[in-house]
Amino acid sequence: MSDAIVEVEGLWKSFGSVSAVEDLSFAVQRGQVYGLLGPNGAGKTTTLRILMGLERPSRGSTRLFGERVTPSSRQFVRVGAMVEQAAFVPHLSGMRNLKLWWEAGGARMKDADLDGALAIADLGDAIDRRVKTYSQGMKQRLGFARLLLGRPELLVLDEPTNGLDPGEIREIRELIGRLSTHGSTVLLSSHHLSEVEQVCSHVLVMNHGRLVADGTVSELIGSAEGSVYVEVDDRERALALLSNLPSVSKVQIQGDGLVVELRDGRRSDLAAALVGSGFRLETIMPTQRLEDAFLDLLAAGEVAQQRAREAEVVS
Amino acid sequence: MIALIRTEFTKAARRTRSLVIVLLLVGLPTLIVVAINSRGRRGDGDQGEGLFRLAQQSGYLVPAAVLSAMSGFLLVVIAGTFAGDSVAGDASWGNLRYLLMRPVPRGRLLVAKAIVAGMLIWAATILVALAGLVAGVFLFGAKSVTVPGLSSFAGTTGNLVNGFQLSQGVLLVRVLIATAYVAFGFTALLALGTLFSTLTDTAASAIGATAGVYIVSEILDGITQLGRIRYLFPTHYFNAWETMFTDNRYSHDMITGVISQLVYLAVFGTAAIVWFRQKDIRS
Repeated sequence: MSDAIVEVEGLWKSFGSVSAVEDLSFAVQRGQVYGLLGPNGAGKTTTLRILMGLERPSRGSTRLFGERVTPSSRQFVRVGAMVEQAAFVPHLSGMRNLKLWWEAGGARMKDADLDGALAIADLGDAIDRRVKTYSQGMKQRLGFARLLLGRPELLVLDEPTNGLDPGEIREIRELIGRLSTHGSTVLLSSHHLSEVEQVCSHVLVMNHGRLVADGTVSELIGSAEGSVYVEVDDRERALALLSNLPSVSKVQIQGDGLVVELRDGRRSDLAAALVGSGFRLETIMPTQRLEDAFLDLLAAGEVAQQRAREAEVVS
Repeated sequence: MIALIRTEFTKAARRTRSLVIVLLLVGLPTLIVVAINSRGRRGDGDQGEGLFRLAQQSGYLVPAAVLSAMSGFLLVVIAGTFAGDSVAGDASWGNLRYLLMRPVPRGRLLVAKAIVAGMLIWAATILVALAGLVAGVFLFGAKSVTVPGLSSFAGTTGNLVNGFQLSQGVLLVRVLIATAYVAFGFTALLALGTLFSTLTDTAASAIGATAGVYIVSEILDGITQLGRIRYLFPTHYFNAWETMFTDNRYSHDMITGVISQLVYLAVFGTAAIVWFRQKDIRS
């Protein structure tokens, strides 16, 4: 039996003649921090809205904990979700918002993890102030408190750091990290590449509503043609060695090290060759970050889609 | 359901707007009573028409007079505000999606919101009547009323030929019935406002559309050339209760009015639930 908490199969969503999501499939396994990555308008938020029963798919299905998602699905009780920005009843205090939201679901306050949620929100006395006096960062923290009230097994977070200052962004990222360490599964959408790279174990890249690529962050970085930055104790001798390796297509000096372009993208072979030849290996890292891979993947995806469209026209 | 109603009521009741409405609903009847009193004391011969003229005889009739004056516009706007804001208010705050990302059936949430809006409409109507009663009894006393003969009410028939008297007990019972009838008369507006509220994410649009439809209905209802079509307007039987005071009879139109409100509730209420259950929540 699959351990997938989230399953999306052949999902389509159209608004009139505009397709927001096209034939999207993926699964999130228990314990993963899964990132939906894509530019604005890629279909990330629509996908999460469908997953949380706010919108109906045009085709395909979504499942949470093995059960097909419908509006007001009973599985929502196991999910803490923040879709777009956190929003509250502005004329009520943060505390009253938390309590009313919890009780509106038919649950009793004594069953909520109020103390834990308030610790996360860290709003101090402001928790008793009207929400309309809060900054966006405070609202976002209160939003996290709300979604954690029910000790959810799955967190669905849509652009959770939007509108926050750098300090708040760092806090939220650390919080997501802590939650995943404590066993929560996280499905997070973002167009911030560094956020996904730092937080997520798995990534799905979307563009124009379609899946462009998916895998672990390192797989995605490796899946694009890559190069490696190397620092060793004897740069000149290493240059000579690497130039003659069949797995290396090009080597050039950059700063204190070398940039090595690999034919097959395997950094481990390169490290083994250097160490085996008696070099002291100081640094070996991909010169390409997720940002480069993302842009390469989007460009490749655009080309593929263009070819598909041309093929459709010809046929 | 009770928990939903309690939470929705707390949200609605704790708004500054609700406090303003309460002040308005208490202040305006009081102002009307003071105006009636000052006009009566001037003794210039012009003592107003219908219920306003009669209201000077007894404080028990003042609630009827203020309900008659305020149910045509102000209470319509206030009822439209409660109904139109029910769903669209949460949508405009962005809070609706958070209510729906819980295992709460959409239909149940909508019914809870409509019940709360209905409770507030009833509370507003009762408040108007109570404010009128207190101010009226204070200024005009608690007395029975003698309604004069035909010459005072052109176009009416029956008991009015010789006039009649309404005892204090009868007046109180009829004021209660009138208050309940006026409040119930907003049932169609409640259902229509709730429907409009599911159609838009802007509360002001839903409120404006609801009140607008009612005011247009009242205007069209005044055009007698429209004939029987007027019977279909939700406001057509709005003032049928006034014959209890001016003609000493319970009009059959009150029964028809109640039935028409129930029909509108069924039609607009069903449409609202069906639409809201399948709607994509984009706010």
